[in-house]
Parts: sequence; C-alpha cells; structure tokens
Amino acid sequence: MSDAQSDRLVLAVPSKGRLMDDTLGLFAKAGLTIRKVGNERGYRGEVAEVPAIEVAFISASEIAHAIRDGKVHLGVTGEDLLRETIPDMEAKAQILAPLGFGHADVIVAVPNFWIDVVSMADLEEAAVLYRRRHGTRMRVATKYMGLTRRFFAGHRFDAAVKTGAAVTMYRIVESLGATEGAPAAGTAELIVDITSTGSTLKANGLRILADGVILKSQANLVLSRTASWSPQQSRLRDDIVRALGA
Amino acid sequence: MTGTAEGDELAVSARWIEALDRQSVIMMAIFARAGFEPVAPAVIQPADVFLDLIGEDLRGRTYVFSDPSGAELCLRPDLTIPACRLYLARHGAEAPASRFAYNGVVFRYQPTGGNLVRPREFRQAGIESFAADDPGRADAEILALSVEAVRAAGLRAFKLRVGDLGIFDALLEAVEMPDRWRVRLRHHFRHPDAFRRQLRHIVQPNTAGLEIPDELLRRLTAADENTAIAEIEAYCAAHDLTITGTRTLEEIAAHLKGIGEDLQERPLSKEAAGLIDAYLRVEAPARAAMAQIRSLTSAAGIDVSAALDAYEARIALAAQEGIEMGDAHFSASFGRAFAYYTGFVFEITSSALGDTTPIGGGGRYDTLMETISGAGRVPAVGAAIHSERLLLAVRGGRP
Repeated sequence: MSDAQSDRLVLAVPSKGRLMDDTLGLFAKAGLTIRKVGNERGYRGEVAEVPAIEVAFISASEIAHAIRDGKVHLGVTGEDLLRETIPDMEAKAQILAPLGFGHADVIVAVPNFWIDVVSMADLEEAAVLYRRRHGTRMRVATKYMGLTRRFFAGHRFDAAVKTGAAVTMYRIVESLGATEGAPAAGTAELIVDITSTGSTLKANGLRILADGVILKSQANLVLSRTASWSPQQSRLRDDIVRALGA
Repeated sequence: MTGTAEGDELAVSARWIEALDRQSVIMMAIFARAGFEPVAPAVIQPADVFLDLIGEDLRGRTYVFSDPSGAELCLRPDLTIPACRLYLARHGAEAPASRFAYNGVVFRYQPTGGNLVRPREFRQAGIESFAADDPGRADAEILALSVEAVRAAGLRAFKLRVGDLGIFDALLEAVEMPDRWRVRLRHHFRHPDAFRRQLRHIVQPNTAGLEIPDELLRRLTAADENTAIAEIEAYCAAHDLTITGTRTLEEIAAHLKGIGEDLQERPLSKEAAGLIDAYLRVEAPARAAMAQIRSLTSAAGIDVSAALDAYEARIALAAQEGIEMGDAHFSASFGRAFAYYTGFVFEITSSALGDTTPIGGGGRYDTLMETISGAGRVPAVGAAIHSERLLLAVRGGRP
C-alpha cells in the first residue's frame, strides 16, 4: 500500500470471499496470476508474470478508501462502495471496466403490506402523514448513508435519468448488519440495502419500490486519479486493461 | 480559495481570530444595547433534536457522535435550535417574551473539504426574539439590528433580499381546495420540482398508480375507517402480505382514502394553479412587488389582503428603525430552501462574496418551538451573521 511512491503499480484486490475468488479467476484467465507473498493469511501479493505490479489484499470497502486517498493505483471494488465512500467520485476515481461479477442492487424496500406506497413519491406522501401522526420522522435503516441521502434528495445515479421524486421527511438510522430485519424489529420503518436475488427481502416481508433501485452495482476495475502516476505505472495500467480485454 | 482541509487551517491564524473577536464584540454590544440578553448555549447538543427537526439534508453536514455512555450527540450545526432549547429549559410551559443574543462557533461538515466561505467551523453572531407581543415590530427590529451589526462591523455596501412565506400560506388558504392538497403543497413548497409535480397532479389527476384493483380503492374511499381497515387486512391476508412495524393500517387506510378522493375530486382549476405559479414568480423591489401581488390576486378574486397588510406594515416599521426595506429585492420563492421558516425572511449579501454566499440572514419561525417541545406554540423570529464571511466581505474578499 505504501509503494505508490516507487515505480511499481499497486493493485488492490478484495481480501476474501466470492469477490476475491472471482477477481483472481478473471485475472488468471487474462494471463495474470495473482498470488500471495509469504504467509497465506498475509495481505501482500504479486503477479507472477509481471514483477512490477504489487498486489494489496484488502477489504472491498477499504479499497474504495485507498482509491480515494491515492494509496493504490488500481483496485477491484463495487460501484456501491465507491459512490458511498467518495461523494465526488468522478473527480477522484475512474471506472475503467465493469468486471461482470459481484452483481448487487442497492434498493429502497418497504414492508409489503404498505399497499399505498408503490413509488418514491408515494413514500414521501406516507412519510408526511407519518410525521403528523407519530410526531417523528420515518426511519430508514441502512449502511449506505451517503447514497441514501443523495437518492432521497432526488439525485439519480443513472446518467439517463439524473433527477427523480425526492423524499425529505425521513431520518437515517445506521445499520451495520441484518438491515432487512429492522422494520420487523421496530427499529426502522423501511430500509436501503443491497440485494442480489431479492429472496432475503421477500423472506422479511419487504418489497422494492417501483422507482427504488438506487444503483445496479457490480465489481469494477477502478483507477485512482489521486495517486501519482509515473510513465511506467501508466504503461502497466494499459497492459492490465488490455489483458483483461476491458 | 481551494477546496482543501488545509484551507481551514490556514484561515485560522491568530490574527484572523483576533479580528473575528473584535468584530463580534462590536456586534454583541449592539445586540445587548437593544435589550437582547447574551446567552451561551452548549456546543455539544443531543443529536436527536437536530436529526428529527432538520432532516437529512443538514444531518449529512452535521458532526454526529456517541459519547462513552452511548448517547448520540452532535456538534451544533447552528445556534437557533440550541437557543430554543435554552428558552424551553428556562421557561417550561409558560411562554414569556424573551430576547437572546449569542456569538459562538458552529460546525458543518463540507463533503469536498472546507474553504474560506464554506468553512467546517465558523462563528455565528445572532439574535432570537421569542413570543414578542407585536410580531411585525419584532420582524422589523431583527432586520434592523442585523443591518446595524454588519454596518458597525465595517460593511459599507450590501444588498438586502426579502421574502414572506406567510403570503404564500395565505394564498393557499384563500384558493378553494381540499385541505389535504394544502398540506401537500405546503410540504412540497420547499422543493420546487416536487411542488410543480404536485400542482400538475391536482390540476390533471392521472391514475393512482397503485397495485391494488381500482374497484378496491373505490370501496376503501367510500368506506368508514373501521370497514376500510378490515378490508385492507383481508386483502393482506389473501395476498400473503406481512403486517409489521410501527406504521399502522389506519395510516394506510387514511392515505388510500386521500388517493381515492383525489381521483374523484374536481381538479384544481387551471386559473388557480396559474395564480399560484404566477405568485411564486414575483421578483421585484419590495414595495412594487406588493402592488403586483395585489393586482394578481384581485384579478383572480382572491383575498390575501391581511397578509399583504402585515407585510406593508413591516416595511413601515422597518423604515421607523431606519431601514429602507421598500428598495430591497422581494422574491416570492425566497425562503423555500430553509427548513423551518414560516413568515418573513431576509438575507444580506455583498458584492465581494456574491449573491449565493449570504453574509447573514434570518426570519420568522413560528412552529419550530412546538416541534421541539411537543407543547404550545411560541412565535419567534431571529437572525444570524456568518462572522467569517462578514470579515472577508469587509476586507473586500481577502482574509
């Protein structure tokens, strides 16, 4: 991580789970064999074919931070984490290529018996009535505080849409796990969370709003605009992009 | 003025702080002379009050943290709410007239880093007047004192922008429509896009857009509350929908009734919608604007004269205080963006910092106190000066 000053290119790779396996698999298919250096539990690695690339194994959310701060040159992480971590993402990072795995949608979901709430506009109406009746704002449980705020303020991450119905009469309660259980537990009225198949939502009696898909996220190869780039590091970047066919 | 955190640290040189202190001594002396009691609310405030009042727009810019006991706290993002809490702590359920002045640091997170005009910590010098006998006079006094304070600090040229959310409120009351439309229009008022969509919707109601059958919606609309709740319960059981959480079937029934009634209601006339739209476009010198609004409304047969009379009385009172408010720029839309204002609003801008970086401003907020306390209404008006911006403007834009 600290080598961004030297002439090696630092590539950050997810340190565990499906995301790591899929990343290593994709790079291997492209002829770039990523392996750990030293201890199997360690976080440093290398690319067997290209010694000038240094690999850092870190968690996907840490990768977003490292990209933002220029501590690595390239990284593999989800667009959800990038946009959540970096409010001015376009200024600090550049998505070089979607990688075709790690698919997850960040969505707004409400209890499915709210038959009066289908859209974000309905949600705002219901939230205003809720405030009048309960004297408090509707609570949204999420770990995506930044994305939620921007989406509820009317911002749309889909460049073709740009703006949409805003929801204002709410407050966020931060949730660090089992978010989908918050409405039933009475700690929030609705949630913003990721889903891949929707089955967990269904099991918890929740339904995605018709215009409530905040982001269709997947793993991406991402470049840090805040890292320093030497001519060699730029060449290495082009080599990786070419090898991945991205 | 780069957008870096270093910008903040550069700005906070000892000399700059000394100059800010001198400036605040001048302003606080003016406030005290006018009979405002200097108060010093706590810097650390309970987060809950702020989060529930100001919403996520400002929360995203508030430093929220937990103390070792787990209590959620925040660094105050403004001084109005802390001043209200101080008033409530002191007076409980009574609501005596009371006037506070304060000067202190507030904190706002700047997502892309702070700079000189948008620092993450800055000083607010302000005044709040609670439960004054004569609201118009209190409005005029707050405006006059704010102007006097920035003048005394050395600001020679500035612009004054004014608005009055009370006139909009009166207009909505005077135009014939179901009360739930007023609730919605009032709520969406602060978001121009959503407001336009609402207005369009009540002029041209389209379909409900719900997933339940139209026929069920019609039945629910006609039914009394208990019948409607039983119908919804039966529908949920038949469709395997789980009834859970704090939101109740009563609320769903009431909301659906409103949606159903909207579809049956005679739509708002195009003329009425046009009048609301035309009003919100009024931009003129304050005195001329009143004439425009009088002719707009009387042509539509709508009477908002009480609100307009109050507005003109305020102009006259301000003149007595030495402020020629008639020349200020009146904007009917002005004040929409602020969370809790309900009536007169104003802001002071300078050519040094530009129109989008106000040096100070304030307004009337008659409902904030009851929202905080859950008890009775305490009408209030206040203003705050952004000390760092004022000093910058006085120095022509350079620190």
